[in-house]
Amino acid sequence: MRRLTLLFVAGLLGLGVAPALGAQPKTLDIGANQSVWFEEDHTVPMVAVSVSLPAGSAYDPPAKAGLAALAAYLFNEGAGNLNSTAYQDELARRAIQLNLSPDRDYFTLSFVTLSTNLKDAFRLIGLALQRPRFDGDAIARVRAQMLQSLQQEGEDPEAMASRRFYELFFAGHPYGHEVGGTAQGLGAITAADLKGFAKTHWVRGGVKIAVSGDTDSVTLTSLLKSAFGPLPATTPPAPPRVQRSSAPSLTTVAMAVPQSTAQFGLPGILRNDRDYLAGYVANYIVGGGDFSSRLTNEVREKRGLTYGISTSFGTFRGGGYIIGQVATKRESMSESLAVVRDVLRSYAQDGPTADELADAKTYLTGSYPLAFSSNSGIAAQLNSFQRDGLPIEYVARRNSLINALTLDDVRRAARRLFNPARLTIVVAGAPPVAKKSGKPSKTATPR
Amino acid sequence: MIDRETACRCIFAAFLMVASSAARAAPQKISQFALPNGMQVVVIPDHRAPVVTQMVWFRVGAMDDPQGLSGLAHFFEHMMFRGTKSVPGDQFARTLARNGGEDNAFTTQDYTAFYEQIARDRLKLAMDLEADRMAELDLSEPNVNTERDVVLEERRMRIDNSPQALAGEQVDAALFLSHPYGRPVIGWPGEVRRIGRAEAQDFYNHHYAPNNAILVIAGDVTVDQVRTDANATFGRVAARPLVPRVECAQPARLGETRLAVTDPNAKVAYFSRDYRVKSYAEAAPGQAEALDVLAGLLGGDSNSALYRRLVVEKKLATEVGASFDGDSRDDGKFSIYAIPAPGVSLEAVERASDEVIAKFVNSPPGAADLARVKTQLVASAIYQRDSQYALASAYGQALAIGLTVADVQSWPQRINAVTAQDVRGNAVSSLVRREAVTLFLTPGQK
Repeated sequence: MRRLTLLFVAGLLGLGVAPALGAQPKTLDIGANQSVWFEEDHTVPMVAVSVSLPAGSAYDPPAKAGLAALAAYLFNEGAGNLNSTAYQDELARRAIQLNLSPDRDYFTLSFVTLSTNLKDAFRLIGLALQRPRFDGDAIARVRAQMLQSLQQEGEDPEAMASRRFYELFFAGHPYGHEVGGTAQGLGAITAADLKGFAKTHWVRGGVKIAVSGDTDSVTLTSLLKSAFGPLPATTPPAPPRVQRSSAPSLTTVAMAVPQSTAQFGLPGILRNDRDYLAGYVANYIVGGGDFSSRLTNEVREKRGLTYGISTSFGTFRGGGYIIGQVATKRESMSESLAVVRDVLRSYAQDGPTADELADAKTYLTGSYPLAFSSNSGIAAQLNSFQRDGLPIEYVARRNSLINALTLDDVRRAARRLFNPARLTIVVAGAPPVAKKSGKPSKTATPR
Repeated sequence: MIDRETACRCIFAAFLMVASSAARAAPQKISQFALPNGMQVVVIPDHRAPVVTQMVWFRVGAMDDPQGLSGLAHFFEHMMFRGTKSVPGDQFARTLARNGGEDNAFTTQDYTAFYEQIARDRLKLAMDLEADRMAELDLSEPNVNTERDVVLEERRMRIDNSPQALAGEQVDAALFLSHPYGRPVIGWPGEVRRIGRAEAQDFYNHHYAPNNAILVIAGDVTVDQVRTDANATFGRVAARPLVPRVECAQPARLGETRLAVTDPNAKVAYFSRDYRVKSYAEAAPGQAEALDVLAGLLGGDSNSALYRRLVVEKKLATEVGASFDGDSRDDGKFSIYAIPAPGVSLEAVERASDEVIAKFVNSPPGAADLARVKTQLVASAIYQRDSQYALASAYGQALAIGLTVADVQSWPQRINAVTAQDVRGNAVSSLVRREAVTLFLTPGQK
């Protein structure tokens, strides 16, 4: 073949034009303190809906870890005069696909439906929100399923490392326990607890709703009002701010598995911090980009130590985090963690190069429209912006904000956020060979 | 349940669930043509967003791994990202990322697929990059060694660390007898370690050619534009002589295999039964469709017969499911599984599952149940139109296993035509114990 490819690439880069975004969502008004964003598109006869309620595991009482999740998983287990079986049949025979995703701040319920069944879908969702049954039989069944999956997590070093990591990283804060709770917490939950939780947290105050697809504003507004209007107008308080005090540490969860997993983390920043986007870009360069990050390059591509290493940059309402993970055979964990520390050390010191920043900007802005190529994708993306407390104008402005970041901005964020001396590390599997944290047994070659 | 067929370079397994379901898309304006070098092209217009999905499917998969070198096809998928003479090192992924593109790949028993998602004005770039690595991959020794280590880590993550996945490998090895479907896509570790530069180069020469590939473009494009750009890129790669695919016998099984695995790393017990059945590529008309419906009725969701009986009514299990994997060139697989509730034996779960299966063998399903499952399956074809990736996957997979564009388009009608008697008839002929492997996985010391 010819060798035109690189020239062609360079030519495109020179243009520096970010592609257009197809979506132009608008807001709908269904009442105070309720956020509804809607993208209208009639191409496919379906509608995708994503609803986030302020009903995450951060609201679990200390002795009842798992309450928010158990309530969420009981969402489709009976409502009004429909028992569990009848309710699920109503959804299934209309091919309404419902997905229940409790997380730390929010309980996100999303569904797709054929547009001909939209009215029934909102009727059933509204019924479950307004009149959940929490029948004893259903509670017992779902609780048993959650306990069984807690048990099965014991097979999985990634799950075990993550559980311990959150306990340490968010020690003393309600973010510290897993969304799925604990065996003790789940065992203590009663029907009265669940009913009380739904009454105070399945509310319209602070609800975030995103819709995309084949309907119109008038129809949708009326359906939303009937589903959400009867809910209490109260707004639960935001979870408390994270006051991180735990010292940097290296902890091992002993497991006899062939491959160990490490979770490593650093304190993040809130979504409204002035360095948030700079931190987001800084993270993309060091560990966020799938196959182009510094960590992937050093740990996977050059040394073949792992199949996957990545870091994610995120925020809860009460605090931010940077959490990374790497899995490798037990005898390579020390070396892998040493490389991670070295990569972070030089990154915190010098930040990204101008080329790395330019590449990050063209990726992050250029790939942005991919998130808006399906109704399901649009509803999920819009709902995520809503949870972050962003205004709808952000959808169109986001790329220009990223393009406006300077090398100084991102270097400042890298220095502030990626200091390896602050790492909290949990390894599930065989203990790494080096015993002392912060003292890698083997120094990796700098790039 | 264990996905027997998929291993990939990616770390986002959830994405693949879409690809592994049956070919199911509603009729649309699909165009199909071939380039002079034999490469097939399918174009699926979707003008909702200014983006495109490109997929290149090669009709080569793990079943084509040479004897003693299981895992070669999957390993080779990884090597396709290790650079060419014109786009060296990791420049493939970096160039796409710099242009806002996402990319990845996956390998199954029957095919290997590569894809990119990118803004429509950069489709030509993605075509250029794919055509380039189809023509002149650079397989240097150090690359091969490092990537083999990566693949072994992938195997530890997906298989060796998971008691259910490890047991699942043994189920397939027993189920498919001497057919290559009995070998894991990712390969046996001892054989993966044997893969070297020469084996990789051989594999490339014999299988990675335009006359063995299918290009699928879904997105904001016109057919004319795709034709012009495909000719200017892929069209310049010369056809190569292919090694014909080996046809393997699938002799009738003479008896059920029962596999009892005790694993100290397992924390819950697990029952599964896998039946070797006819796939969409082999089955008589209506047969595979009836199995899709049967899987939905038996264990598709919480309205299914197994869930209602074992989880809701008798409280013998916390989790159950049934699935039909009929998207393969050779035999498919019909699977059921259950995780017993605490204190319940695997024997009790098996007995109850067999009672439910017996109902479908002895009498046709009820009208309401049949209508519900058919509605769900037909709707899935509409939901699939929401995703360029899912659409492109459906057509690419179908063509890669020997089906046609028309087969994908007529799938909803064929599902609608399935009768209660069809479901019963196919339960009788397909859920045959001698064609099955039954697994009891138990926590405990070996």
